[in-house]
Parts: sequence; structure tokens; C-alpha cells
Amino acid sequence: MLMSLRRLLAMLLATGLALGSVTAHAATDWPTRNITIIVSYSAGGATDILARKVAEGLTTLLGKTVIVENRPGAGGTLGTTLAANAKRDGYTLFLGQVSSHGIAPNLYTTLKYDPVKSFAPIIYLESIPNILVVNKDVPVNSVDELIKYAKANPDKLNFASSGIGASTHLSGEMFKSQAGIQMTHIPFPGSAQAVTSVISGQTQLMFDNMPSAYQYVLSGHLKALAVTTPKRVPQAPNIPTLAEAATVAKMPDFEATAWFGLFAPADTPKDIIERINVAANELLKKPEVIKFMHDGGAVPAGGTPQDLAKHVASELAKWKDVIEKAGVSKQ
Amino acid sequence: MDLFANIAMGMGVAIQPVNLAFCFIGTVLGTLIGVLPGIGPTATMALLLPLTFGLPTEAAIIMLAGIYYGAQYGGSTTAILLNLPGEMSSVVTTLEGHQMAKQGRAGSALAIAALGSLFGGSVATLVLAAFSPLMTLVALSFQAADYFALILFGLLMSVVLAHGSVIKSIAMVVAGVALGVIGVDINTGQFRFTFGMMELAEGIDFVPLAMGLFGVAEILRNLENRGGASATVIALSRLWPTRDDVRRSWPAVMRGTGLGSLLGVLPGGGATLASFASYSLEKKVAAEPDRFGAGAVEGVAGPESANNAAAQTSFVPLLTLGLPTNAVMALLVGAFIIQGVQPGPMMLMQQPALYWGLIASMWIGNLMLVIINLPLIGLWVKLLRVRYDYLFLAILLFCAIGAYSLSNSGFDVLVTVLFGGIGYLFMKIGCEPAPLLLGFVLGPMLEENLRRALMLSRGSLMTFVERPISLTILIVLAATLLMLALPSMRKKREATFVEEEA
Repeated sequence: MLMSLRRLLAMLLATGLALGSVTAHAATDWPTRNITIIVSYSAGGATDILARKVAEGLTTLLGKTVIVENRPGAGGTLGTTLAANAKRDGYTLFLGQVSSHGIAPNLYTTLKYDPVKSFAPIIYLESIPNILVVNKDVPVNSVDELIKYAKANPDKLNFASSGIGASTHLSGEMFKSQAGIQMTHIPFPGSAQAVTSVISGQTQLMFDNMPSAYQYVLSGHLKALAVTTPKRVPQAPNIPTLAEAATVAKMPDFEATAWFGLFAPADTPKDIIERINVAANELLKKPEVIKFMHDGGAVPAGGTPQDLAKHVASELAKWKDVIEKAGVSKQ
Repeated sequence: MDLFANIAMGMGVAIQPVNLAFCFIGTVLGTLIGVLPGIGPTATMALLLPLTFGLPTEAAIIMLAGIYYGAQYGGSTTAILLNLPGEMSSVVTTLEGHQMAKQGRAGSALAIAALGSLFGGSVATLVLAAFSPLMTLVALSFQAADYFALILFGLLMSVVLAHGSVIKSIAMVVAGVALGVIGVDINTGQFRFTFGMMELAEGIDFVPLAMGLFGVAEILRNLENRGGASATVIALSRLWPTRDDVRRSWPAVMRGTGLGSLLGVLPGGGATLASFASYSLEKKVAAEPDRFGAGAVEGVAGPESANNAAAQTSFVPLLTLGLPTNAVMALLVGAFIIQGVQPGPMMLMQQPALYWGLIASMWIGNLMLVIINLPLIGLWVKLLRVRYDYLFLAILLFCAIGAYSLSNSGFDVLVTVLFGGIGYLFMKIGCEPAPLLLGFVLGPMLEENLRRALMLSRGSLMTFVERPISLTILIVLAATLLMLALPSMRKKREATFVEEEA
């Protein structure tokens, strides 16, 4: 109760301040008031938790309070649209992810934002690897064995996902087409139920986000075959990458991660973008932030706004290809 | 000995000051709304749901659970003293309890109700602790086809056990299912029934729906009979049962506890059903059935133990299968999801502290209830004189704030208001909203599991009869339908409701 009241007060305060400063400020005295990071998912989710950590760090580094505003809805596209249309004054930022700037633009035809034209990239924050896990009773112990098993038993395997168009689904589709195997996609509403179905043997495998599945690998309920990153993951150095593990079918560029980046609406002044980028890079070097990300199964990123722009471009192209090959119907 | 180690761990969680405090708040709130007629646990939990957001997970769930079983206690106080059941589940308590009060045995009735509840609650908590880890193991072998059969059975039972017209109950379940499927179809990603409104793309949120149907609608209805029916409070004499009452009560308490524990686990069951069933049972086994209706203490002891026992054991299917069996449990699913916890077979392993902490808190909560209830009965009765106008205003305000804070959007407030109006309409035409809520939560699960089962079987319908669990449930379901169709059963069902109206 206290929390929601406090949040309400913060919002009222923020609106009041916004009305008080209609004239655009010269970028030199930015920031003079609170900065808002829009999150297009509910509080408590992975995106929200990261945004709150970033907001907390930027508050110290920029000297003004950075608040997180949750605007969930429409599969996450509602908040993205709001951010795309926000004022370009540096006081509204957006926590973009693989969905808003990779998958959704290729999946929905009705989007009211353009992932490239509507946004100015600031910084690539982190990526969370997906991990290929199989039920412990499936008689395979490596990616090669899995591919052979799938070829010997056509369409016997089912792979679970946390929903149509999620990175967990499209990783599976990408694997299917690159390995040349047949398996059936079984979508669930969320990772928890999907991974439960792999544990119980209702489905046989899944490309799950690492933090959700890895605990069951450690407890022996699931077998981990590979991670979907170009390099091995520091938290689990003995699990090979898919590129390393797959030899019967070559998949050298297999990369499928849930990633997060900070954006501003397009045409936000360059020097403001630059200042946030410098501050965020500094933040990503702090040991406690690195630990926070590692604990969440993530790999910290960083770099220039151009790095994030390049990443977005390659993600958009990759998922376009996967969605077309998998024949996922567009909205 | 694992059981004891687990319970010890749970105790460790439950006696943390924060959790103890929220357990206390929950049970007091539960008692409070139990005492106040017209405001039930479903409405209260719906109203408080958005406010649990900022709480630690354990504290939030412990508090909400406390409201549920606390209400079973509070409801009996007014039932006995005022002939005014605070809750559905204490309707039968008025039958004998108020008679006892009229004969000057109010204290005895209250004490028996409280102690019977404590016994029923404690035993059922043990059943829950002992039984649910086993259930969790079984639950992992439940596949989509089995879930489908079980949910179908649950929806059917909610129709069978609802009060009043079967046609109306079916209509409510179907309406709930229809509302539930609004939004993105998880199998294809297509939008369904959104009428181009982006706000509906993820479906109607459970919280504003429940707050409207239960909270706002209840208030609207209560505003109608303002100032009416000022109840006569019967003065309290001594607060200790006579030796004779104790002698007559304890077998009834045992039977009530057993029956309640069993009925709580069944889909569609819960506290209300348990108390009605226990009353019928006591009447049947009584040596002198004539005493019933004239202050038979067994008629208080049995149902009060039964409703509390059932309130505890109805957590079993929720905690092990992730399936809510009644409207209150459906609300708790919402609470778990808000906290980022998926109720289901993996919960015990993933969240052992939450799991055992909740169970231990129930036992502590039951003890707290006896302590706060017996000495404070006078205070609770005074509460009935609080002006409802102020209370309602405050509740509505919190409703609006709560709905808004869900996703910072005015849309959810509108949904709350809309369903408040609809819920009021339902009451006017005698439709119970509980089956709708259950349909709303279970409907999408039903569809999902049906389609998932068929995808896994590559389209073969045989999967539902090939799997032993699914087959067994479907046979039970068919048998239930058959029994309902028999004229003798129909008569019995009607008889239950005649008793209820008495």
C-alpha cells in the first residue's frame, strides 16, 4: 500500500514538474529535473528489475532522480510506442530489449513505431544467454546426439517455449532449420510452466533463458547441452556454445540471447545521449553492478551508441530471417 | 522425519517478525470482514491484491491466506450472536448457534466454534503438510490431457455446487470462460475478441475484474439496504462450554474435520460446501435428531471445524498443481503471479521457504485467531455499528488507486467500474459471480491444455482415454453427471438449499 501511494505521489510530482518547465532547456544544464525510464513490462519482471538497477545507478551519477515507469500492455509494444512518441528532451528514456528492437518489428505489421527511426540508441546494457536443456530421460548427452536422435525419430520431439515469438521459441525454430530436424513447438504462457513441462517429460527440450533453467541443471532435473552465445558463459564455463558443440550440422553464427539496451526517442540532443552513455558505461564497470548482472545470469555489455545501433540492425535482420523460415504468421 | 524438518523450516519463516505481523494483520482483517456481513473474503482479497505488490512474497501470501481462514472464524461470531451470518460458510452456524444464544448458551457456542475451528484448522494444516509433497510428486506426472480432464471436472463441480439455478451457474461459467479467452491466443499469437483495442491485447486483467464483481458490486448492493435491519445483540454470559456441550461436541468436531479436509481438496469444494455437508452429516448421525433446530451444539461444532479444515486443505491443489479450486484460490493465483511465483509442481522445490512458511503460518494464524477472538468478541460486535458510508467510501477509493497502480492506466479503473455494474446486475438477477471468476481463470487453462494435449498427441483424441489419470477423472466426471441426472439426487440437492434458506 505504501509503495503504490509513494509511486503515485512520485508520478504526481513528476507531472507537476513537467508542466512547470514547458520551455525546452538548453542541453548544457540538463538534467534539471527527474528523468523517467519507460519499461514496457510489469514491475517485477526481468526488464523492470534491470531498469530499476540502472535508474538507481544513474541517479547517483547524473545527480537527478531517475524513476522507472511501467507501461505494460499489448505484448510490450504499448510502452515502446509511448516511448517513441515521448518528448525528445532527454527526460524520457526507454529500456528496450530483444522483443522491442529485434523480434516484435518482424512479427507485428501494426506497430506504431520504427525500431530504427523512432529511437536514438544510447547503450547496450546486458545480454542473457539462452540455454539448450533436455529432459533427463531423453537418451542424448550432446547437441550432436540430439540431432542424430531427432533424425532417427522424426517429429517425436517437442520443444517448449515461453510463448509465440519469444526468444525461447525462435531459438528453437532457428535450431530446427539449421540442424535440419523436425520437432513440434509447444508454447506455454511463461518460462516457469514451459520449463516444468521439460522437467516432467511432457516436452523433451527447450531453449530457456539461462536464469530460469540453470537452477534445474544444477539440481540434476535437466541436462544442459549448449548455450546460445558466441562465447561460453562465465557462470557456466563447462557448457559449450552451440557453435562448438554442433559438428554434425554446422551452426557457426548461432546467437540467440535476451538482450537489453537503453534508448531515447529519436532526435534527442546528441550531447545528452553522450552524457548518459558515459555515465552508463561507468555504471557497467562497477563491481556491484557486474555482480548483480552475473547473479541474474546476464553478461554485462557497454560500448558506444553506435555499437547498440549495429547490434539492433543485426538483430532485426536475424529475427526477420528466422521468422520467415519458421513460417510464424504475422499480426 | 523430513516432515518435521520442513515444518521447522516453515516455522522459522513464519515467526520472522514481518511475517508474524502480516499474519496478524491478515487474521484480524479476516475476522473483521468475517464479522461484517456483506463483505466477504473474496471481495477483501480482491481489493487488497494490488496493495500486496510492494510486500515481500511470504508476507503477502501469508496475509492473504490469513484473511481467508480468518473470515471463517469471524463469520461465526455474528452468526451466533446476531443470527447474521458474516460469511456464506457460517450460514449453517446460525441454525443451531443462534438458538443456543437465545437459550443463554452464547458463550458456550462461541467457545465451541472457536475451539472446533482451531482443531479443524490445525489437523487440516498437518494434512496439508504431510500430503502435499506427495501430491507434488504425482503432479509432475500430470500432462496436458490430465489437466484438461481435471479442469473440466472442476468447472463441472463448480456448477453442481453453486447455489440456485444450474442454468444460471452454467451461464456464469461460460461467461467467465468467454471473458478469459480475450487477448493474445498463446498457440498462434493472434489477437482474439480485442475489437481493435490495444488495451485488451493481453486480456482483461484479473484484479480489476475481481474487484469490480465482488468488491464494488457488494458495496452497491449494501448501499441499497442502508439503515435497515439493525440486529439485536444477545448479551454474553460465561465464555466456557459446559461439560455436556464438550461431550457432545468432540465427536462432531472429529467428523467435521475429516469431512472438511476431504471436501477442501476437491475441485469446486471449499469452506461453504464443507459446512453444509457437515451439518447434514451431524443431523443424520445424531441419536436424537429432534434436538436439531433447537440449539444442538453438534450443529455448531461440526460445521465450524469443517469449514476451517476445508479452508486449509483447499490449498493443496493450488500449491501442487497450480489449479485453483474456488474463487478465493483463484485470487491467490493472481497474488502469486504478481509476486513472480508460478504456483505448481515446481513451487515446493523452488520456493521451499515460501511453501513451508505459508503452511506454518496457517497454524500460527489459527492460534492467533482463538486468542484474538475469544476475549475480543465484545469489540467485534461493536464494530457492527461502524457507519458503512465512511467504510464504503474508503474501500472505493482504495479500489480505484489499486486498479490504477496495476499498470498505471485508467483503463483498469474503467474495467473495475464496469464489472462493478455488471456484478450488481448479476446479484439482482440471482447469478453468483463465483463460478464466473473460476471460469475466467480456468477457461484459458482448459483451452490451452486441450490444444496442447492434441498437439502433443499429434491430433489424436485417444490421448484423453489412453492416459490413466485423464481416463480416471473422465470416468468420475461421467459418473457425477449420471448421478445428478437421477431424480433422487436432484431431490437431495433441492433439500440442501431449503435448509440453507431456513
